[in-house]
Amino acid sequence: MNWRLQRLPSANPTAALLASVAACAAALLLAAGIAAIAGFNPLALLGQVLSLVLGTRFGLEDFGLLLTPLILTGLSVIIMRRMGLWNIGAEGQFYAGAVGAAAIGLFIDGPPAVMLVVMFFGGAFSGALWIAIPALARAYAGVNELITTLLLNFVALLLVYYLGTGPWRDRGAGTLGSTPRIPYEMREFWGIVHWGLPIAVAMTFLVAGLLTFTRWGYEVRISGANPENAQYAGIPVRRRILSVMFAAGAISGIAGMLEIAGTVHRLQGGISNNFGYLGIIVAVLAGSSCLGVLATAGLFAFILSAGIVLQTQGLTTSAVVALTGLILLFNAIGQEFARYRVLRAKGGDT
Amino acid sequence: MEILTGILSTAFLAGGVLSLAALGEVISERVGVVNLGLEGLVALGAVTAIAVTMSVPNPYIGFAAALGIGLIFGIVFALATVIVRADQILCGLAFTMIGTGIAATVGRPFSGIPGAVTFEPVVVPYLSDIPIIGPAFFSQNILVYFIFLVLPFGVHFLLFKTRHGLNMRAVGENPAAADAAGIPVAAIRFVYVSIGSMFAAGAGAYLTLAFVPSWSDGIVAGRGWIAVALVIFARYSPWRAVLAGLLFGLITAVGFVGQALNWPISAPILGMLPYLGTISLIIVPAFIWRNKRYRSAAPEALGQAYYRSVR
Repeated sequence: MNWRLQRLPSANPTAALLASVAACAAALLLAAGIAAIAGFNPLALLGQVLSLVLGTRFGLEDFGLLLTPLILTGLSVIIMRRMGLWNIGAEGQFYAGAVGAAAIGLFIDGPPAVMLVVMFFGGAFSGALWIAIPALARAYAGVNELITTLLLNFVALLLVYYLGTGPWRDRGAGTLGSTPRIPYEMREFWGIVHWGLPIAVAMTFLVAGLLTFTRWGYEVRISGANPENAQYAGIPVRRRILSVMFAAGAISGIAGMLEIAGTVHRLQGGISNNFGYLGIIVAVLAGSSCLGVLATAGLFAFILSAGIVLQTQGLTTSAVVALTGLILLFNAIGQEFARYRVLRAKGGDT
Repeated sequence: MEILTGILSTAFLAGGVLSLAALGEVISERVGVVNLGLEGLVALGAVTAIAVTMSVPNPYIGFAAALGIGLIFGIVFALATVIVRADQILCGLAFTMIGTGIAATVGRPFSGIPGAVTFEPVVVPYLSDIPIIGPAFFSQNILVYFIFLVLPFGVHFLLFKTRHGLNMRAVGENPAAADAAGIPVAAIRFVYVSIGSMFAAGAGAYLTLAFVPSWSDGIVAGRGWIAVALVIFARYSPWRAVLAGLLFGLITAVGFVGQALNWPISAPILGMLPYLGTISLIIVPAFIWRNKRYRSAAPEALGQAYYRSVR
């Protein structure tokens, strides 16, 4: 038996998908093992999670509520991945969008339907504004966007904290570190699940269509694959970088706006359940396919809801963060393995 | 005068965390592996040091335990990035999440409790009598001397004055050529990526044993990421990395002083300074030397896995 391994320049899609599934399974198994060592009964926990999340109306509604921001932050990361860029700042853009929407909601009066539209665009604009500096630095000076977008997350968190405890704080009855309730609210269409979910799904199809079927999407993909060639072919690479990054910021900003207008109704710290960071994994697991995001966002909405259920068992949400990191690590390893194939020498003498 | 001494003293103390973590990243990036897991490793080191010193009240043992944890996680990171050759960015992000997640989970019982022990200041005779610098630098704990004097000298000597350091840099610049010259690429990367992670965990232990003697969730507050950014700013030089850490200590110290003196700027706004400062430090030089070879400071093979034969 003669055989050797061959590494392919890009992974076979089926192998990549299998690797992702295997990575998730391995991470969950390892987590279950650790839970067992820590004195929990993993099977009982799993049963409890499944019955509470998927078996109750309340659990399903929570799941639907978590889906919206995860789809959008995942989309925000993917749109930049198409150009080979990393958006690690979706968390900050999410908060920026929430701040923009809250500013409009708190300080401008108008008919609710109009105000919600204005808040929507305000959120998108704030999110895009938040990524402006990394985008300009990337396009015009080649500054790595990974660290600049990430560091702005901390600034955004501090900004929300400052507004919630300072100038915008609720001066009425005792909510600490939060603005007053914003009077404009998204309608719900199923229990507590608001219209943000259909909007997020529609945006996913819109972005998928733009990236696949338009000239812009084609140029973005080419610029991502080979910037020099793209430049040579007359594609304005810098402008494509700017448009992609501003779009990513706007999408995360919309996620923040929907969270404010649909779910939380007040600007306060912690409104993002690490949605920005989870968006990275949602995008990576989706293999940078826009429609795949709908599935992977579902997976992480489930994991987040499970985390909420498990809190009653004394597990913290930080354990969920560690678990998602584990999934990401195993997935990175799995994607590398998926690039190999076994070659058998056919009756040869080598 | 007293304010100046106070600022400088805090700058050394606060900068030590960043300097140590950045030094670890310099080592790792010089051999060609970018470690974005710094944030998580710092958190792990910080919580390990606190947890260990709660039962064994000796800062040296706490620090050593943190180094050990850093080495273990560093070896796992090196296995994933150097042996399996998985995507370095993904593995780094994963380690940030794993590290912060585990640290927050393990650290919950210790959250907010003052640490049992800290590194006590060691006053250097004679030198501490120098005005300003004396009380600011020569009355610090032992780790500060180590981070600002011994380690950068050691790393610089290793990288630039030894044959082995030349090999290390060759591995980071052109692993194929290094391989052809008989340098064990994977072994060198493996060892120095693990050691770099150890430095990061040490920075975490420094945070909870010398700077802020307690653990709470979010105490790392992006210091790991700032350290990664400082390495770019320092253009991969150990001395510059340590000095950049000190510069950041200075920014932090100015924020503290501002709070103490009741400046009319609120604490969260002052708290933004280190992040905004870091961002401007990597963006502004890139714009100034846009057309020169500023970015060529990075090791040529940084972030790329090495395959002997891609067929």
